[in-house]
Amino acid sequence: MPTLRELQTRVLGAVLDGEDAAELIRAGGLTPSERLEVYANNARINFTESLRLGYPVLLRLVGEAYFDQCARAYRMQCPSRSGDLHSAGAAFAAYLGELHTGGEHRYLADVAHLEWLCQESLMAAEHGRLDLARLAEVAPARYESLRFKLHPAARLFASDYPAREIWEANLATETEPPLIDLAKGGERLLLMRRGGRLEFHRLSPGEHAFLESLAAHAAFAAAVEKGAAAADAAAAFDAAAVLRRFVAAEAIVDFS
Amino acid sequence: MPAHAGIGLRAQHHLEVLSESPKVAWFEAHSENYFAAGGARVQILDRIRERYPLSLHGVGLSLGSTDPLDAEHLANLRRAVERFEPQLVSEHLSWSSVGGRFANDLLPLPYTDEALRHVSARIAAVQDALGRQILIENVSSYLQFADSAMPEWEFLTAVAAHSGCGLLLDLNNIYVAAHNHRFDALEYLHAIPRGAVQEFHLAGHSRVRHGALELLIDTHSTAVCEAVWELYRAALRRFGAVPTLIEWDSQIPPLAELVAEADKANALEAQLHAHAA
Repeated sequence: MPTLRELQTRVLGAVLDGEDAAELIRAGGLTPSERLEVYANNARINFTESLRLGYPVLLRLVGEAYFDQCARAYRMQCPSRSGDLHSAGAAFAAYLGELHTGGEHRYLADVAHLEWLCQESLMAAEHGRLDLARLAEVAPARYESLRFKLHPAARLFASDYPAREIWEANLATETEPPLIDLAKGGERLLLMRRGGRLEFHRLSPGEHAFLESLAAHAAFAAAVEKGAAAADAAAAFDAAAVLRRFVAAEAIVDFS
Repeated sequence: MPAHAGIGLRAQHHLEVLSESPKVAWFEAHSENYFAAGGARVQILDRIRERYPLSLHGVGLSLGSTDPLDAEHLANLRRAVERFEPQLVSEHLSWSSVGGRFANDLLPLPYTDEALRHVSARIAAVQDALGRQILIENVSSYLQFADSAMPEWEFLTAVAAHSGCGLLLDLNNIYVAAHNHRFDALEYLHAIPRGAVQEFHLAGHSRVRHGALELLIDTHSTAVCEAVWELYRAALRRFGAVPTLIEWDSQIPPLAELVAEADKANALEAQLHAHAA
């Protein structure tokens, strides 16, 4: 008699990879493989359905048939690693990016990435505003080494395509979405959640680099350096103004 | 938790539940749908919880798996239990994962002594982590393991005795398994000790034909069928009234239809109660 571990290993191999586990199953009526196929089918449907729920705009853009085909191929590469299916789609955008590298449908991965960031933002923890009185007490000599913290719901996004416009235009299910010119160029964004709703802030290259650096826990001076290096040559990077803007937007909420 | 009928809470009904305050005794929410650390969805459940008793029902803990318990999943469940203070917390007598890979379906265990010791210890560990008793639900099944040494009802009863958990009897799952494996659903009911059952589930299923055979699949996509209502009557006679859930989470109907199913369950219970008095 196999141990429980052995039995589970073989049955999961049958359900996920189509391997044989017939001798473990009681005979009678249906064949063991027909019985195991019920579970294999449930597993496929549950996985695909979780992706459909996580990427409704992508689903609308590409249609059910192609979406499901991508979902099945993605599952072979990135099977579910959690009992909570909400996380199963975390690498789907990256997978689509590899699938469409250099192709004319490269923008699909960016739209998918934006959708995932929106979901993450909507489910992130709450956080209060930055305590300005506490910041005012900091000695100026310490400014450079401060590490500012972004709101748990803040997410940074960049695309060479008008990904947000495509996303917004395809949110509604009743209306026919307008044509969008992919060549019109992309943008850098800060996603935020306020009052339960998503907010998008357009970012300059300098602001994006600055916030990305903060998100990676860099000290203020290092983040300013990144921001200045990425800023458009024409516009100088005004670190104090940038800091004020994102504190006001409740994107920067704490420091240490 | 009131010993009346509640309904499964689905995201598409959130706003209607808040604006209409439907007359149902309680709501059951899938735990994993409210694992978020913040945001609108969990705030909505906070507001619903202010008005209704709540049960948190998990589908993803993979209790019977021989992998280590998923510490992150358990921590999320614990956070949800602390936040929403549900009257009941439940999970399934099943497994879903090995080696870190998940089928995300409710696979049955072999009904052996080894599996009994294993799953009972895991349930006890979860109860310790949550600081409370949980209920364990019998699952629908489409296969039986050759090595099973006892019937499911004996295994389920022993799990409750070994782990100290309560039982959530899903009457549709008993009906589906009884059809698929050709046993008597009433024999199952009568083998379960009276005091162990703290909740019933009622749901709809689908029929899939395989040649000459018909397999019942637990889809939760239709109304409760007459045969399952009949089993509910038998369960009420044996166990008395306990909180009863209408579970319908695929091809979800309007909220009013779910409330009507709950009303039907309440009417059946009242009828039997009046008859007995």
